[in-house]
Amino acid sequence: MTHIRPVRLLLTGLLIALLSTTMMAQDELAPIPLELPEALFIGTPGNMDVKNLEKPLGKPRPPFLAPAGTVNLALGKSISSSDEEPVIGEIDLINDDDKEASDGSYVELGPFLQHVTIDLETQANIYAVVVWHYHKQARVYFDVVVQVADDPDFVKNVTTIFNNDIDNSAGFGVGVDKHYVETSEGKLIDAKGVQGRYVRFYSAGNTSDDLNHYIEAAVYGKPVK
Amino acid sequence: MSEKKSADKPISRREFIARSAAAAAAITIVPRHVLGGPGNTPPSDVLQIGLLGCGAQGQVLLNASLKIPNIRFRAVCDIWKEYNLKRVYRLLKKYKHNPTDYVDYRDMIAQEKDELDAVIIATPDFWHAEHAEGALEAGLNVYLEKEMSNTIEGAKRIMRAAKRSGKLVQIGHQRRSNPYYKHSYQNVIMEHKMLGRITTINGQWNRAVQPDLGWPKKYAIPAARLRKYGFNSMQQHRNWRWYKGLGGGPVVDLGSHQIDIYNWFLNTKPSAVMASGGNDYYDPATHEWFDGVLATFEYETEQGTVRAFYQTITTNSNQGYYETFMGDQGALVISESAGKAGIYREQKAPLWDEYVEKGILTAPVAPAQQNTTAVLDVRETVPPPKYAFPINFNDPYHKPHLENFFDSIRGKATLNCPVEDGYETAVTVLKVNEAVAAGRKLTYDPDEFHA
Repeated sequence: MTHIRPVRLLLTGLLIALLSTTMMAQDELAPIPLELPEALFIGTPGNMDVKNLEKPLGKPRPPFLAPAGTVNLALGKSISSSDEEPVIGEIDLINDDDKEASDGSYVELGPFLQHVTIDLETQANIYAVVVWHYHKQARVYFDVVVQVADDPDFVKNVTTIFNNDIDNSAGFGVGVDKHYVETSEGKLIDAKGVQGRYVRFYSAGNTSDDLNHYIEAAVYGKPVK
Repeated sequence: MSEKKSADKPISRREFIARSAAAAAAITIVPRHVLGGPGNTPPSDVLQIGLLGCGAQGQVLLNASLKIPNIRFRAVCDIWKEYNLKRVYRLLKKYKHNPTDYVDYRDMIAQEKDELDAVIIATPDFWHAEHAEGALEAGLNVYLEKEMSNTIEGAKRIMRAAKRSGKLVQIGHQRRSNPYYKHSYQNVIMEHKMLGRITTINGQWNRAVQPDLGWPKKYAIPAARLRKYGFNSMQQHRNWRWYKGLGGGPVVDLGSHQIDIYNWFLNTKPSAVMASGGNDYYDPATHEWFDGVLATFEYETEQGTVRAFYQTITTNSNQGYYETFMGDQGALVISESAGKAGIYREQKAPLWDEYVEKGILTAPVAPAQQNTTAVLDVRETVPPPKYAFPINFNDPYHKPHLENFFDSIRGKATLNCPVEDGYETAVTVLKVNEAVAAGRKLTYDPDEFHA
């Protein structure tokens, strides 16, 4: 008995140490690995009279912290679109890691409400989504809605992580998020670790035209073990 | 067009409309779809349009036109069929238009001239004369992007073709249809002369450093086609505005819009210009035109001499773009960017309360307190309050100008920038580059403004 007790204490201590290390690793945060493209503004920005518009930060966005090991799970994954024949460009430009604004780096989807869906090909904890619609010109896109789900039809475990549809014209409810002006920083959405496999992006035109553009969409997360 | 038509030859849409109109004049019972009325758009109100030039500016005009009722794009044409032409064609399909796409404008005009009412031309400047001539000689009305041409001779050809054809030519100085500018011209300057005697104008368009336009390599235009249409490379095709012989450089691209306003608001043309500029920043091998120009015009008006400064630089975006008209009673600041528009009353000028009461101006906003201790400093005048205009304009910038063109075709309006006005502006602006090159003041002969 006298020999068993120290061993038991030792094992208990080791277990506690192991659990603590694991928890520390889980809690360890690091900036997400996000490289920004070159800023590019061309042409004449139009007048923008947009309700619920957020004020520009006026300085670079601070790094976004997520659990260490978080990566862009969307890169090169299977992607689909409501517009099967885009006006110009190809759908796979959306998750090819090319975030430049020039011709050949973006896809232009048809007018009015359109969406694209990325299959992460695994269930994942998602910490941040960053989307660049079009940063060649100062624009605001309307009815930007981002959802995460477990299935491609968006029936199971659907979570809306961003919605700036102020009049419910897209049909997902009135959004509480603000409109924003496109910049080369992209729009970073805090996904708060939501779990899912499919990420869908909606939009319904912009302040310059009725079309829907995507330069890049990145989904930062970690596969669920 | 042949005088005689065989009985079984299909008649064109334009012939049909002409015959319908003639029949309407001859008989008293006319179908509703010919005359229109509630719920019926007469065919003469639905305009069939061709777009010649599907690049960035062509797309701007197309997107603005798509927001205007009763406009149908029947044909589109661009030499970059792998990218821009495909893009515009597919876009129109999504809006349920059914255009035919062409690479060569001659094919488009030959095939479509009997069905089209007008052509919108948004090609590089050096093509404007040939494209506009071709369309006018085919009996089509023309909306022509500024600058009319990169040469005076090209602009003259367009003037002459317009006269010969009797067709409409609207030059794309879209500010002439902008509600802020129209209000300023009609009410502030002409009717109420709020500025008093205008003595000085200041304007600018400053842009930040920009990289050259690129292109998706897999969609490059084959070299033989580029050469056929006057370009020696994709680099030159994409950045034609910087090349002599193709465009006119920043002072023509940007300055033309604003210097056109100088002429319009002063109701005259300049008598002289001096200018400084150069290839100071970019690689002159790919940027042949001056990347910065500072010009001063002299105008002789009925009220006296007006000196007008204009600056365009491409290395710094400070303050963007605007025009300021300064008189002894007030200053008008105006810009296509609506937030800048306003008018400032000089302290000694008569009060403007009546204009606020009449709804011509909105009540003034008091100037911000100056962060200075020199409140009694007599060297600086107290800043005046800003009056704004009771206008809310959020449409695409080009939409009112296109609407004015389309309504003019329908006989419901007159052009806001007819070819004669565009020609005067082309003469005014193209001489700025000459003045830079000459390094001295150049005068305008009044006869220069007539083709």
